Amino acid sequence: MAYLELQGLEVSFDGFKAVNGLDLSIERGELRCLLGANGAGKSTTLDLICGRTQPTGGRILLDGRDITQDPEYRRSRLGVGRKFQVPSVFKELSIRENLEIARSRHPEPWRTLCVFPSRRPSPRVAEVVEIVGLEDALDTQAAHLSHGQTQWLEIAMLLVQDSALILMDEPTAGMTVQETGKTSAIFQRLRGRHTLIVVEHDMGFVREVAETITVLHQGRRLSEGPIQAIENDPKVREAYLGSGGISHA
Amino acid sequence: MTSLPDRHDRRAEPVPRPAIAWRVSMPRITSAAQFLPYILFCGAILAVPSFVSDPFLLNKFARYLALGLAAAALALSWGYCGILNLGQGVGFGLGAYAMAMHLKLKTSPVHTGSAGLPDFMVWNNLDHLPWFWQPFHSGLFALAAAVLLPALVAALLGWFMFRARIAGVYVAIITLAMLAVTNLVFVDQQAYTGGLNGITDLAWFEMGGVEFDPYSPAFYYLSAGSLAFFLMLGMVFTRSKAGLVLRAIRGGTDRVLFFGYDMASYQCLAFSLSAGMSGVAGMLYAMVLEFASPTFMGVPLSLSMVIWAAVGGRGSLLGATVGAILVNGTQGSLSEAFLNSWQLILGALFILVVVFLPNGLAGLVHNLGARLSGRLRGMAADRAPSALLNRR
Repeated sequence: MAYLELQGLEVSFDGFKAVNGLDLSIERGELRCLLGANGAGKSTTLDLICGRTQPTGGRILLDGRDITQDPEYRRSRLGVGRKFQVPSVFKELSIRENLEIARSRHPEPWRTLCVFPSRRPSPRVAEVVEIVGLEDALDTQAAHLSHGQTQWLEIAMLLVQDSALILMDEPTAGMTVQETGKTSAIFQRLRGRHTLIVVEHDMGFVREVAETITVLHQGRRLSEGPIQAIENDPKVREAYLGSGGISHA
Repeated sequence: MTSLPDRHDRRAEPVPRPAIAWRVSMPRITSAAQFLPYILFCGAILAVPSFVSDPFLLNKFARYLALGLAAAALALSWGYCGILNLGQGVGFGLGAYAMAMHLKLKTSPVHTGSAGLPDFMVWNNLDHLPWFWQPFHSGLFALAAAVLLPALVAALLGWFMFRARIAGVYVAIITLAMLAVTNLVFVDQQAYTGGLNGITDLAWFEMGGVEFDPYSPAFYYLSAGSLAFFLMLGMVFTRSKAGLVLRAIRGGTDRVLFFGYDMASYQCLAFSLSAGMSGVAGMLYAMVLEFASPTFMGVPLSLSMVIWAAVGGRGSLLGATVGAILVNGTQGSLSEAFLNSWQLILGALFILVVVFLPNGLAGLVHNLGARLSGRLRGMAADRAPSALLNRR
């Protein structure tokens, strides 16, 4: 059995089926890209996996365990980490404090009550801020960061969180070419140790990092395979790359 | 919440990096600077009886300190965790009644003869002490109940609210409703609570051979000691990682869930800790006034607590405490000087503070301190050669 299995997953918002009978299985250590047009259900799929949205049908199995009914925080404790499309950090807190929150191996209140965050960053945090280039801004309030820096902060938080399964929603949005290159280098390092699911529009980035691509269309799996196979798949060309009816709609 | 002015500067002009030496040493200065005011304040209130011997003044100060503790409790949930509890009086009142029940049982033989039944129970034709009054013969039980009962009630209410992800103004409405209900129950159950009159004619609290006459230095020390203890406890709580998680939640985001933090239990924790603190405040208040009344759970008192915390600065436990002491002190002296117009003057002061000092008096002190230390740092940086090297 694969590390993550989605079986007949389904969710409807006021009758609109954003995800409609989706089956997906992802092996441990894999880096999977999700592609699809706007509204294909990519972000919703990530929401369903991390628990932000409850499915109206189907099952989610993580490492053989049914997590369909588990609340978000419990899924996170089981190893699901999430980066959101709109960078989502704690704006009132400093970068240092944001990373302290992300360091969440023991998230129960009775444990955190006895922990007093030291001003000196742990070796792991120091390493991560070095990677993302925020080491000189540790005491800056996150609200004062630029969009790009906020993206980096959230990526740094995920690196500190060190989840087994990382869900990335458009990690390179708003990044320069150099920054995108750096992100892809980070992803190459994560590959193998972590299982990654990445939603991304930047095809250059996808070509660089992806092994297997799943194309979603109207909440279903349309096609799956390596990049060349996807690019040559007539169904995908029709639905997503726009040589068929969709571009005339 | 408050953004230091030097942060704005850094943002506007990002090129000069702070010198390494300053980055290392500055944090230690700030954390000591955060504790210093608390230590000074606690030292000051504990020193008062060495200068003041007038029992009436001591009694008045002890009362202000009890109210200060209630405001600190509110700041803990409102300022640090974003939970605006308009029903702070529930915990305050429960604490007050728990203590009053014990103190009443100590006096009742004097007032009602050998039956040992409190006077209002006799008037309401009760012939024996209700079972839930029995354990209050013990002073220790009363002390424990004054803290744990409010905390338990808050944990229960919080469980329902925060599990359902209720936040913001809805929390304020629910807690206000809770306050009204509790008040009504206490007024209604006259035979068990003394109804509108409350529980009056209380004895003095006695523990370990010490009698706490509310006009004595001993009682003042009890009041000041409790306040100092809970200020320090609250300070430690807010500095812990749990406090950090709560500040993250305060921003109004559920992002912490995706790091594995169970948001509802953190909110419950803060909410019931705050209620336990107001229970202690209520207990002291009942002891100092020598009665407990349903007005302790009235809407006006709970809303006043919100005002005290806002004036002093809800973002700081100490700020809220000082706010409560100042407002009550001003109220006392204004009402003596201006018999009819003092409420107008006080109201105008509130408006001025809320409009011009959104973070209260604590915010004002904080900004002044930051400006001063920024100036000092600037002077030192100009002198330090390493800093000059870093400024390309």
